[in-house]
Amino acid sequence: MNQRLAMVIDSSKCIDCKGCVAACKQANGVSRGVWRNWIKEAVPLAQNGGAKVQKLGPGHFQPGACMHCDEPSCLAACPTGATFKNTADGSVVIDPQLCIGCGNCIPACPYGARFRDPVKRIADKCNYCPERRAAGLAPACVDTCPTKARVFGDINDPNSEAAKLLAANQGRVVRVIAKGPGKNWDTKPNMYYIASTAPEGWAVQPVNPLSFDFLAGVVAPAVKWAVGLSGLGVLVMLGRQLVAGSGSGGATQSRHGQDGQDKKEDHHA
Amino acid sequence: MRNLKRHDASDIFIHWFNAGCWFLLLVSGLGLIKNERVNPLGAWLPDMLRGLLGGGSSGGAVLLVVHEVIGLAWVLGLAAYVLVNAGGARSFLREIFSIRPGDLSWLVRKMGRMTVGVGGQLPPQGYYNMGQKAFAQASVVGGVVIVASGALLLLSDKLVPASAAWLVGWAVTVHYLAVGLVFAGLLVHIYMAAISPEEKPGFRSMFTGHVPEDYARHHHGLWVQALDAADEAVGKKAEPQPRGAEEF
Repeated sequence: MNQRLAMVIDSSKCIDCKGCVAACKQANGVSRGVWRNWIKEAVPLAQNGGAKVQKLGPGHFQPGACMHCDEPSCLAACPTGATFKNTADGSVVIDPQLCIGCGNCIPACPYGARFRDPVKRIADKCNYCPERRAAGLAPACVDTCPTKARVFGDINDPNSEAAKLLAANQGRVVRVIAKGPGKNWDTKPNMYYIASTAPEGWAVQPVNPLSFDFLAGVVAPAVKWAVGLSGLGVLVMLGRQLVAGSGSGGATQSRHGQDGQDKKEDHHA
Repeated sequence: MRNLKRHDASDIFIHWFNAGCWFLLLVSGLGLIKNERVNPLGAWLPDMLRGLLGGGSSGGAVLLVVHEVIGLAWVLGLAAYVLVNAGGARSFLREIFSIRPGDLSWLVRKMGRMTVGVGGQLPPQGYYNMGQKAFAQASVVGGVVIVASGALLLLSDKLVPASAAWLVGWAVTVHYLAVGLVFAGLLVHIYMAAISPEEKPGFRSMFTGHVPEDYARHHHGLWVQALDAADEAVGKKAEPQPRGAEEF
């Protein structure tokens, strides 16, 4: 069976040290000003009056990153297939060689996991550290976590630590769900929060840039109509040529001289 | 029968160079679109071409380089033509963008005659008929748009700053639209030039450079009249062209 790599996160263990964020930047050479992962606060800080900041309740920290969804909305926005679902391990991959930097996938991700790398000028996000995995290591964020809040593994393998953790927490697993136009839009993220986590509704609705919706909704059908009509015209002309022959072909050929003569006379008259 | 010179060697070269590049760019470009909302022909073409070039996204990446290299060669070829035959390029552009009285009537009548067999007498046409002019206009305007949007896409990961990143998405849309519309015209162009029996001498002239005079008088009467007038002005008849060219 194919792998299904996932991250199972016990957010009650997270101490908001940001070690995962730093390790990811270091391991992947992520450009300045952008991050592939984050720690959110499940109970957000509330601004009370002016400068005074106060927490509402005990709160939880929620480490996160690209959730390598089973039904990723970012894929549907990519025109070239540069971003795709790796069927062997279930990860959502960006091929930087095929990415043309159109940026469609960035607002199409409801979790804000994608960004335009300011140096490479193409889309970037968490890739589960493929180089480290190839060397038998866990992703940098998982390896560095001092409290082991992040557990990474193949949840199709019942003996993996991630699968065991999921199984042990049946009924207490929470996922972050994207907002939808009507009902919520479940992209089937492979990031699972266990223990007492209650993810806040920070995910947004996946949207396509206007340029892409215009391409898919207006330009592509218009081009199909234009090519279809043109092709139909050609078929009609070809049919006329094959069946009648006279309207455009042979008879005109024989009229050549005469027509030319007529025009010439008109001109000289 | 007299032959009239219609195309220089550089004109013939650029026509077929353009045609070859268009074919390769169209096929490789279609292979680069892999999204079920915008695939014009479905997923089989991108999948097949990517499979031939190594498979998956890496095959797509090779295809992208192929498309970019051919696109660059296309632009350089067109630029070289303009340098070699600036006069030809100028008169081509002047000719295709000059619409004369009767041209629109010609277009409507010709379309009627070719499809339903009704249309009546066609007004005389110049060096190009209105159908040729319409397609040439679409090719030139479309070509400029295709090159500009393609250049933006080529440079998207090299020069385009974050503030202009939204332009890249629009470049994809505009590139697609321009290619699609010119391709719609291309179908008619190929039929009229290469398949319709009426235009066979014109098709042959895209190899030989010459057309028979009676064909020219019938199809491009105003052009031949202008040639005659120029000949009379210099007080001599045009030298008959060698017949050999027609043998091709």
